[in-house]
Amino acid sequence: MAASLRQAISDWIFRAAAPETPPVTLIQRRIFILPTRMGYVFAGTVLVLLLSSINYALSLGFVLTFLLMSMAAVAMLHTWRNLAHLKLRPGRCEPVFAGDVAHFGVTVETPSLTRFAIALRRREGDPVYADVGVREPATIWMPVQTQARGLLRCGRLEVFTRYPVGLFHAWSYVEFDLKVIVYPRPDAAAGPPPQNAGSAAEEGIPIPGDDEFNMLRAYRAGDAPKLIAWKALAREQGLLTKEFNATASAELWLDYDEAPGGDVEKRLSALAHWVLKAEDYGQAYGLRIPGTRVPPDRGDAHCRRCLEALALYRLEP
Amino acid sequence: MTRLPAPPPLDVKNVMWLLAAMVFVVAPHLMRLPSWVGIFFGVVVAWRAWIAWAALRLPPRMLVLLITAAAAVGTFLQYQRITGREAGVTLLVVMASLKVLEMRSQREVVLSIYLGFFLVMTNFLFSQSIPLGLYMLVCVWLFIATLVGFNRVGSSPTILERLRPAGALLLQALPLMAAFFILFPRVQGPLWAVPQDARGASSGLSDSMTPGQFASLIKSDAIAFRVQWHGERPPFPAMYWRGPVMTLFDGRSWHVQRELLAGDGLHYAASGHPVSYSVTVEPSTKNWLFALDVPAAPPKGAYALQDLQLRSYRPLDQRTRFEMTSYLQYRYLQGSGPITLELASRFDDTRNPRTVALGREWARELDHDPRRIIDRAVLFFNREFTYTLEPPLLDPVNPYDDFLFRTKRGFCEHYAGSFALLMRAAGIPARVVTGYQGGEVNPLNNELIVRQADAHAWTEVWIADQGWVRVDPTAVVSPLRVENGVNAALGPIGISSAIMAADKLGIISSMHFAWQYMNSQWDQWVVGYNVDKQRQFFSDMGFRNVDWRTLAFWLMVAIFIVGGAVTLGLLLRERQPRADPSLAAWNRFCAKLAAAGLARAAQEGPLDYLARVKAQRPDWATEAEEITRRYIDARYGSGASREDIQLLATLVRDFRAA
Repeated sequence: MAASLRQAISDWIFRAAAPETPPVTLIQRRIFILPTRMGYVFAGTVLVLLLSSINYALSLGFVLTFLLMSMAAVAMLHTWRNLAHLKLRPGRCEPVFAGDVAHFGVTVETPSLTRFAIALRRREGDPVYADVGVREPATIWMPVQTQARGLLRCGRLEVFTRYPVGLFHAWSYVEFDLKVIVYPRPDAAAGPPPQNAGSAAEEGIPIPGDDEFNMLRAYRAGDAPKLIAWKALAREQGLLTKEFNATASAELWLDYDEAPGGDVEKRLSALAHWVLKAEDYGQAYGLRIPGTRVPPDRGDAHCRRCLEALALYRLEP
Repeated sequence: MTRLPAPPPLDVKNVMWLLAAMVFVVAPHLMRLPSWVGIFFGVVVAWRAWIAWAALRLPPRMLVLLITAAAAVGTFLQYQRITGREAGVTLLVVMASLKVLEMRSQREVVLSIYLGFFLVMTNFLFSQSIPLGLYMLVCVWLFIATLVGFNRVGSSPTILERLRPAGALLLQALPLMAAFFILFPRVQGPLWAVPQDARGASSGLSDSMTPGQFASLIKSDAIAFRVQWHGERPPFPAMYWRGPVMTLFDGRSWHVQRELLAGDGLHYAASGHPVSYSVTVEPSTKNWLFALDVPAAPPKGAYALQDLQLRSYRPLDQRTRFEMTSYLQYRYLQGSGPITLELASRFDDTRNPRTVALGREWARELDHDPRRIIDRAVLFFNREFTYTLEPPLLDPVNPYDDFLFRTKRGFCEHYAGSFALLMRAAGIPARVVTGYQGGEVNPLNNELIVRQADAHAWTEVWIADQGWVRVDPTAVVSPLRVENGVNAALGPIGISSAIMAADKLGIISSMHFAWQYMNSQWDQWVVGYNVDKQRQFFSDMGFRNVDWRTLAFWLMVAIFIVGGAVTLGLLLRERQPRADPSLAAWNRFCAKLAAAGLARAAQEGPLDYLARVKAQRPDWATEAEEITRRYIDARYGSGASREDIQLLATLVRDFRAA
């Protein structure tokens, strides 16, 4: 009953909620509080205790009854206070492959008093709890089982608490622009990426790579230590960096049209597998899918860009 | 592929807490219930603890059901029923332990805790003393702490982290609880039929008297009633607390006469000043009251029988206070019709033949003169009888013969019974009056505490021109008994009396009286706080004739005020983040400069501000630089000691921007 009422309230209050600008502070009028189901059972218990006290004329029974009753009232304040004035910020969400568990992160900060058992949950999903200390912001990661590739939005979040005694449920809603990019699940069945696809030579542009030693150039900050010409340094020629050119034959284009598999998702999965493999081989590779072209390169950022392109391929905006 | 983890099982620590709280709350019961209940409870709790500790599987539902059925049958076999106080509590303890055994989800844990609150309540059916009350408060604390532990989802709190919030909750609940306790309109219960033994059926006088029956009573320290004097306290030898009057005699036992006794008021001629006092009777299943011999009028809620016994209309199943007045000097002539006298003269002369013969002999010898016969009897008792609480067993058919001519050792009931029989045999109507004699005065408030140990029996004989006259044969045998109480006559009885006797300096006895005083206040104002007490409380406060509407109104007001105060206290604490003292000092410094016309701009950092201050007021440069440097060290540095911050505050205080 409480849950459905909460749902009704939330639907009414956040009719068409736009993502909020962080940080969000849970001010007084954003917080709702209702008894939990165990709270109602507690009320029933207290009522029976009261009737027994009257019936058996037990003065200490009255003391017990009123003590529990007042304790519940105080607990309501404690529960409310445990949630009030919390500051919430969205965290960074790491991309995952479809089928893996993604995590939405929200950082919670308290201006005063340590907060216990603060929970966050998505509309459908289990709550995740954390304690938040003063000057010790906690980041709560909400796991979500991904199914398909694409852009997974976190949607509205319920932040709630039942601490200290679980008789009351104080909650608030926040809506951040939290999303996780879900890459297609790599399909190992696709085999190794084709080695000769496309041709960079045609385009006549030398592609920086490390396959073939080309020349020495002056060291620039950020060059990898393994590329430094230590022998030259030893000959007191100064700090030089070796430069390589990738050979045209090693240049790789991963093409949507060449990917095996009947439907779009299969092809994307195969491409994802190829991207990872190519990255493993240390080859420079480019990605060609209808509507998007990622020029050949290598490295972590490039790999992510490719996978992202695969994840977002033909998605509804 | 990573998957979401399954919900974790119940935390071991939390389960242990619950079990500990359960053991605490059930412990006082185990002393009152049959031993198998204790063993059962212990085994089940230990089993559950083992399951939690070793992370074993819970026993199958069928097994638990079977044990439940077995325990219910056991309870029934023990008591022949499953209602009533002992049986009900046994059943509740058994069910609670089984609930604990089979709990697997958090919801079931919470239900077990609520069940624990009921167990707390059942303890009050047996006792509402201060120690038990405090003990039960600790139990409630433990249960709430357990609840707190279960709601600290995601972390395992320390002992202190459970006890502290729970303690805070209870402490903050106290004011509101007190308001409810005082103002909640009390009603005269019960709402439904209370089993006869629901409340402590404390031992006490009964409506019959058999030789030897008092012995257990006289060894009991339990309080029968308390007396507060509204004037001077009468001397101890005059304190005969009149209770059940027994006229019917069957050769062995004396019985209260139930019929023909409804009196239409009290008939006697009083002389002297009345004594007024109030009697607070401890709960019992009986309905008789005790008044100083003889009561002036039945108090409110009670009536008087023809033989001056007072009876309450309702059973005294809760502590009740009666306002009484008595006359210590009286002539009790009227109200004794021929039937009463006839009943008071009957005896069966086939039983106790020697006693009957002795009585008849005295009558012949002394010319049927009641006064001389009584004197002779008193002399008889005075000569060779011993007062003792450990009398030898008496012959069941002719007990008084056995007592008078063989054992010659006994206490009040032996003397009263045999004396009354002797009188009847001598042709003088006589009856046994039971009640209490004397009591213990608490010097702190002059209150008199009458215990079961003060139980007493004496006789009343009918003398034609004097009416019913009290004769106490025990006083003849053991004058100390009547003057100084049963302890003086027998030496210390029971533990507390023994300690009192060893207490030469009187420290223990003054502590004892202070404790008595506290108990008496507790019993009157907390345990005995009922409809009447509530009314009295409000009339003492100056509100006459409060009804439940007025109470409800004041309750609302109190909830508003007390609740509001607690709320404000809680929320204000939350609103004030602990200010960094170095920042506070810095702000004071900035305020001083601002007052001198050098306000810090909002975007200005401390160093920029310092540069500006130095440029504009070179005379302040040294102090400003010192303060700024120390502030930056304290706030952004690796950490400042208390002394550093103190110094900063002093510098700021001494800084004069004039």
